[in-house]
Order: sequence, then structure tokens, then C-alpha cells
Amino acid sequence: MSRTRRDPREEREVRRLAGSARPRWRLDLPPSVGRLRRDPRREAEAARVPGAARLRLDRSGRAAGPLAAPPLAAEPLVAPTIRIIEAPAFLIAVVPDAPGGRLTPLDRQLLGTARLLADAGGGAVLTLTFGAVDGLGTAGVDRTVALTAPASGDPAMRMGALAALFAALQPRHMLFPESAAGGDLARRLAARIGETLFTGAESLTARLATRPAGNRHVEQRTAPPRLVTLAPDAQLPHTGPAHEARRLEPPEIAPTPAHEAILSVEDLPVAADALPLAEADFVVSAGSGVTDFELFRELARALGATPGASRMVCDAGLMPRAAQVGASGTVLEAACYLALGISGAPQHLQGVARCEHVVAVNTDLHAAMVERAGLAIIADAQQVMPALIAALKAEGRQ
Amino acid sequence: MKTLVLLSDARHPVSGRPAPAPTELQAINLARSLADEVTGLHAGPDAEAARGALGHGLARLEHRKILAGHDPLPSLVAAIGTEAPDLVLAGRRAGAGDQTGLLPYRLAEALGWPIVADAVALAVEGGVLEVIQALPKGARRRWRLRLPAVVTVHPAAPAAASFALGAAREGQVETAIGIPAPPDEPAMEERPYRPRPRLIASAAAGAGAAERLRAATQAAGPGGRVMVDPSPEEAAQAILNHLRAIGILKPAAGG
Ligand SMILES: Cc1cc2nc3c(=O)[nH]c(=O)nc-3n(C[C@H](O)[C@H](O)[C@H](O)COP(=O)(O)OP(=O)(O)OC[C@H]3O[C@@H](n4cnc5c(N)ncnc54)[C@H](O)[C@@H]3O)c2cc1C
Ligand SMILES: Nc1ncnc2c1ncn2[C@@H]1O[C@H](COP(=O)(O)O)[C@@H](O)[C@H]1O
Repeated sequence: MSRTRRDPREEREVRRLAGSARPRWRLDLPPSVGRLRRDPRREAEAARVPGAARLRLDRSGRAAGPLAAPPLAAEPLVAPTIRIIEAPAFLIAVVPDAPGGRLTPLDRQLLGTARLLADAGGGAVLTLTFGAVDGLGTAGVDRTVALTAPASGDPAMRMGALAALFAALQPRHMLFPESAAGGDLARRLAARIGETLFTGAESLTARLATRPAGNRHVEQRTAPPRLVTLAPDAQLPHTGPAHEARRLEPPEIAPTPAHEAILSVEDLPVAADALPLAEADFVVSAGSGVTDFELFRELARALGATPGASRMVCDAGLMPRAAQVGASGTVLEAACYLALGISGAPQHLQGVARCEHVVAVNTDLHAAMVERAGLAIIADAQQVMPALIAALKAEGRQ
Repeated sequence: MKTLVLLSDARHPVSGRPAPAPTELQAINLARSLADEVTGLHAGPDAEAARGALGHGLARLEHRKILAGHDPLPSLVAAIGTEAPDLVLAGRRAGAGDQTGLLPYRLAEALGWPIVADAVALAVEGGVLEVIQALPKGARRRWRLRLPAVVTVHPAAPAAASFALGAAREGQVETAIGIPAPPDEPAMEERPYRPRPRLIASAAAGAGAAERLRAATQAAGPGGRVMVDPSPEEAAQAILNHLRAIGILKPAAGG
């Protein structure tokens, strides 16, 4: 391990108080390097609950310390700015999956990568979406073209539109997520227009792209071709200032017909309760706070969610072991997690770490799960479950 | 009904010895539910890996001999022209080499056939093929299309038939000379693969273990909405409204 060498003289010089004959130092500044020095007296003073006759200290850390180190020069407040790229040198086209008009985590990583490629040479990021998508500006998008989604589910029609746009806009790169839908679309496009496709890139810069090959024994490296698909969790999403995401009119392109051999494409209903937990999109999970498991299973069916459980429940044999969520069970990839009577032990929360939305029902206001949840209901799960089932049934009858 | 299964020059992921790729064996299994006799097709310098598939239910193997590094596509198109199958099945990715999964798409484009990716079940009725496609999160999609077609197989398809030595010995391999197609681009630079850490976007990236655990187990933003002691009906309605707002439940039928 290498650490930067500290120069105590220089550090002290930073603290010198000007305007006195004798050398004097400011000692209450937080150190510029290393660990923060704690001042127990000041912390106790800050934690003091005002108004109490007896000395009472609030150790939760919520109270703002009156003696917290005062900022020397207050930074001027800056309004959030939107970065505008008026005349881009080139375009980086991105085709996000965006199911239901929402960006997936991989879409954000893809846009973050596109941002880096664009900023390396004064280019702009252009998204080509089928239907409108939310939150493109904060994800780092300069221009967006929303095409009308084709009626048929045959990806050949989307591919035809993209091929026409690729020829019309001449982007420097066209990036796809290496997901089921994005990877399929990219391969169809590459086969149609005869461009090289770099699949499953694990690193991507303007000069170099790498990917695993040969059963992950070799790494292939090359300058990125025009079509690239990006592997999940290989790049970081854009975190800088928002971009303008200006809507452009889609250019006139002749719609591509579906392949004449394709008769129909239809989505089948998902059998949520037969789904393995790792694949599920919506999980409703029971902990020790749930006693009626017949009711719990009925709720899962009514919501169309996959049932899960905490370890306490699985250990008690009330739910199968395969239903256990957590560090020693299944780590979920679900979009939403509904936790009924689960305290939220760290081992359990690790299994929920990748869930975007968490809803908790718990009698304990201070449970860790309540802190993690986007919506927390402090109530008895035994009474909320039948109410939920009744509300769903009432809606179904309308 | 004539079905052809494309077999790549696969290697076992650990030992590196020639062994057929799992999804290609699953493809043989799916094909056998449609036709009694399944033919394999491989284009490459030797059919060592594809030969292994003979023990997994393949009756016959067509081998087109081409030099290593040459593009198998022209040989495969020519072989499909003479064999005239109704259905061509391929694996999701080859079992060695570039593993781009592009070949079935290029083949479908060259033949002008439709392609469906990631099949887990197949059925044929009166020249119409029904494909169940596996999508992420356990979703399934049903395609109905007229044959001929190219279909790639998903790992979630039924498991491959187990190996039978007698069948592997009896199966015949017919070797013919393929069409030479030297690659038009220079090969990419290759290095030993070094796994990269998965990047997780969080403020705690690079921080201490305690901070990373906190980031992994706590919500990214500040705490959410808390309802203390609502009536069960209020609570149920709040949960349903929230689930609809985040797009997990479909909007109520009535409103
Ligand atoms: C090595 C190791 C690995 C582990 N791995 C896992 C794992 O993978 N998965 C896992 O889940 N656990 C795991 N655990 C166990 C974990 O530490 C906890 O013990 C467990 O998660 C607690 O389960 P619980 O939340 O259901 O129960 P409890 O902690 O008992 O919590 C019950 C909660 O329900 C609430 N409640 C009570 N009654 C009601 C009611 N009527 N209505 C609503 N709420 C109510 C309570 O307020 C409380 O918050 C592991 C532990 C160890 C040591
Ligand atoms: N040389 C080959 N001969 C026959 N089929 C092949 C060959 N290479 C690839 N395939 C098929 O195409 C699929 C995808 O291969 P690839 O595009 O190389 O990842 C494989 O699973 C095989 O079914």
C-alpha cells in the first residue's frame, strides 16, 4: 500500500492566522488529509437537547452542532445548470431498451459511456427511442429522437427504422445495451447493414474497446467499430450536470414492414409464483411479523408477485428454502420489493440491495427495513394483507 | 420436417478440450421433439467438438472442411442450400472463439429467413412454427411464423439428452470441402483475460468497508414516505397507489 507522504510544516502553514506578530495557528479546522479529528466536548455540546432541566444528549446525529467547524469562505450558491452543446462535432447514437419509458440501470451506464465518448471530442449524445422516455437529460443526453413504436412486436421493424437513421444521421458510434432486447436489435442491424459489431464491451473509450472471448480466457482489444453493445455493470452512469435532451423531429423514413413469414408475436402472462426468485421482477416477502401464510400466498397471487421470505421464516419451515431472500438466500434483481413484517437485518438487506423500490409494512417505526423503504406503513401486517386483497378484488369487480 | 442444428467448434470452459456447447445440445433436444432425425452441421477445420454431439441425440453430422480462421458463413449457406431444411437451430453463443452470437443473424440475413432468438419451446403445426421465447425476468413471448426459419436456443430450454456412447459410435460424419472465405479484417489483439470488478455507482465507491455495506443496504436517496398507524384500508390504498406510480402494477381497470 502506498500513502502520500505528509508534510507537517506545509499543513501547519495552511492554518496560519494572518495579522499577528506572534505566529498563531487556527486549530479548529478539519484536517485536509487523513482522518477527521474528533472533539468530544464539541460533539457533546452539539448533541445536547435544549430545554431539558437534566443534561440530555441526542446521540442520533440528527442535531446540527452549534459548534460545527464554521466554513471559512461560504461557497457561492450556484443554480443547477444545464449543459448545452450547440454545435456538436459528431453524434454518439444510443438505443436504450427503456421498457415502459423508463431507463434501466444498464441504459444509464450506456448513456454514461456515450457521454464520455462524446466529451472526448466535442460530440453530442443522441438517443433513438421508440416512444417517449423519462429522465434522459439527467442521464446525460443532448438530443433525442422519439420514433413511434411499431405495432408489431417483430424487432425487424425497429431494426429497419434504425438502419435508415444510421444512414441518415451518420453517427460516429451507435451503442446498444447487451440485454436480450438490445443485443437482438444490434445483431439484426449489424447483419442487415453489414457493419462490424463489437458485442459485450467491458470497457469502451474513444480509442479502445475490450471484450471477453473464448469462454472468458482471452480479452479482445481493438479501436471501437461503429456498432457496439455494452455489457452490464462495466461502466458508471453519468453523474455530472444535466444535459438538455432537446427533442428533434424524427426524419422522414419509410416504415419497414415486418418479415412476411411472421404471423404473430404476443406476450404471454408471467406465471409469477412459479418463477425463480432471481428472475422475478416484483417480490412480496414475509418475515417473522407474518403469521398467516395462506393469506400471504393469496396476496402474492392477487398482486401477481413472486413470494419470498426472510431466513427466520424459512428456518421455521413456513416457506421453502428456495424462497429465502438475502445473503445466504437469493440476491434479487427485482424492480420492486414489498416486505411484510421484516426487520431488515443486514444479511437480508444485501439480498434487496439491487431493488429499485422497496415498500415495507412493519409495526416497528425504527426497523432498518422502514429506513430502506420508499413507502413504509407502520401497521400490523395481518390486517394490511386482507385489506390489500379486498382492495384488489374491489378494483377487479369494477 | 427436416431440422438442422448448427454446431460450433466449441471448447469446454474449464479444460479447454473439444466439447459441444450446452445450448447447441439443448437445440438438438428441441429439434428431436419436432423430427425423428436431426442433422448437425459444422463448418471448420475439424469436427472434433461437433462429433461429441452425436452421443446426445444427433443422427448425422455434416462437416464442411474450411481452414481455421475462415468465415464459416458461405459454407453454411451452401450446405443449407443442398440440405434444404425447414428449420435451422443454433446456439445462443458459440462455445469458443469470438462468441459474438452474430452468426445466426448473418445466416438469416443471407438466407432471407426470419430469425427468432432465445427459444425455450418449439411446436409445429401445418408448416407454422410456434416458438416460445424467453425474455428477462421470466417473461415469455409467443411467436408464430411460417417455415423456413432460423431459431437460436436459450439456456433456459429443457436440458440436453445425456450422452450415449453407442449412439456416438454409430453416428456418421460426412465431410465435404467447404468454401474458403478468408477473413477481410485483421484479427483483433488478444490478451489473457483478467476479470474486471463490477462497477457499482454509489457515493461510497472507494470508501471503507462500513460505508460500502451501508451503501449496499440502504436506500440511495433520503428516507421515503412513512405512514404511522393508518387504517388497514388507507394503508392498502397507499400501497396500491405507490405500486401504480412506480409502474409495477397495471393501472386499475376502473380508472
Ligand atoms: C451468517 C448469516 C446469514 C444470514 N442470511 C440471511 C439471509 O440470507 N436472509 C435472511 O432473511 N436472513 C439471514 N440471516 C438472518 C438475519 O440476521 C435475521 O435474523 C433475519 O433476517 C430476521 O428475519 P425477520 O426480519 O423475518 O425477523 P425479525 O428480525 O424477528 O423481525 C420481525 C419484524 O417484524 C415486525 N413485526 C412483528 N409483528 C408484526 C406484525 N404483526 N405486523 C408487521 N410487522 C410485524 C417486527 O417489528 C420486526 O421488525 C442471516 C444470519 C446470519 C448470521
Ligand atoms: N463454424 C460453425 N459451424 C456451424 N455453426 C456455427 C459455427 N460457428 C457458430 N455456429 C453457430 O452459431 C451460433 C452462434 O455462434 P457465434 O455467432 O460464433 O457466437 C453457435 O451456437 C452455433 O450454433
